[in-house]
Amino acid sequence: MMILITGGSACGKSSHAEEICLQGPAPRFYLAAMQPYGEEGLRKVVRHRLLRKDKGFETIERYTDYASLELPSGCTALLECIANLTANEMFDENGNRSDPVDLVLAGVEHLASRCGLLVAVTNDVGSDGIRYEEGTEAYIKALGTINAALAARADTVIEMAAGIPILWKGEMP
Amino acid sequence: MVLILGGAGSGKRAFAQSLGYKEEEMSPDVFSDAPVMTDLEETVRNDPAGAAALLGPLCQKELVLCREVGSGVIPLAAEDRRFREETGRLCVQLARRADAVVRMTAGIPMILKGEMPCARS
Repeated sequence: MMILITGGSACGKSSHAEEICLQGPAPRFYLAAMQPYGEEGLRKVVRHRLLRKDKGFETIERYTDYASLELPSGCTALLECIANLTANEMFDENGNRSDPVDLVLAGVEHLASRCGLLVAVTNDVGSDGIRYEEGTEAYIKALGTINAALAARADTVIEMAAGIPILWKGEMP
Repeated sequence: MVLILGGAGSGKRAFAQSLGYKEEEMSPDVFSDAPVMTDLEETVRNDPAGAAALLGPLCQKELVLCREVGSGVIPLAAEDRRFREETGRLCVQLARRADAVVRMTAGIPMILKGEMPCARS
């Protein structure tokens, strides 16, 4: 079972994803793809950790290459988030660029094959109408392609708006 | 209180008018007597730290109109990121307390919570 959760910034994606995972089989893993840059990044990590506290997740920080992550068969995993993972697969620390689409999709496919329940959180970054420099434009396009492919693969797709889930595909968990 | 969300130019104000509210009953000032609060995101932009304190006064309104601002590339400037986060979180809190939540897309209202609000008589 794979569930994709999308939506803009601060719309309640994480807490809804966590609630869904609580219904999934143990053990539960939180797969953190965000590299915490600076104080703001650390604040975000702390905030998310507090949200997850007492929910029984084991946290695995991993920024790339989910295709080779070993997880016990039939577990529950919350992958957060596809937008970070895409950026990490696309740009290395020296600013070199690769095509992230196949890397991200292979990683998620591997997780989906291992997990009894996989909840993947992604982000909608393409709706601000601003024209960015070429690298950012390529990132927006890659993430859109990845989101569409993940939605096609997922059993259920949910968009969050102001903390309210909107069902786009499948059934509400 | 009915929360009306939507992107820029999605028809939030026109929807409020279709419910029977006149332009002069709408104000972007949360402390005005107007029953309709407009442009909530601008109030948050001007004072992100004060966002949480708006919750009480906003719940006294009949309609609250807020632009959705979180669906773009994460901004480079920290204050822009803060503005987006505070606007989003305030909307989550408002939606929790609202009798109804409506999201506008291309002028079409979608009910996210409660029932389609009736036009005032």
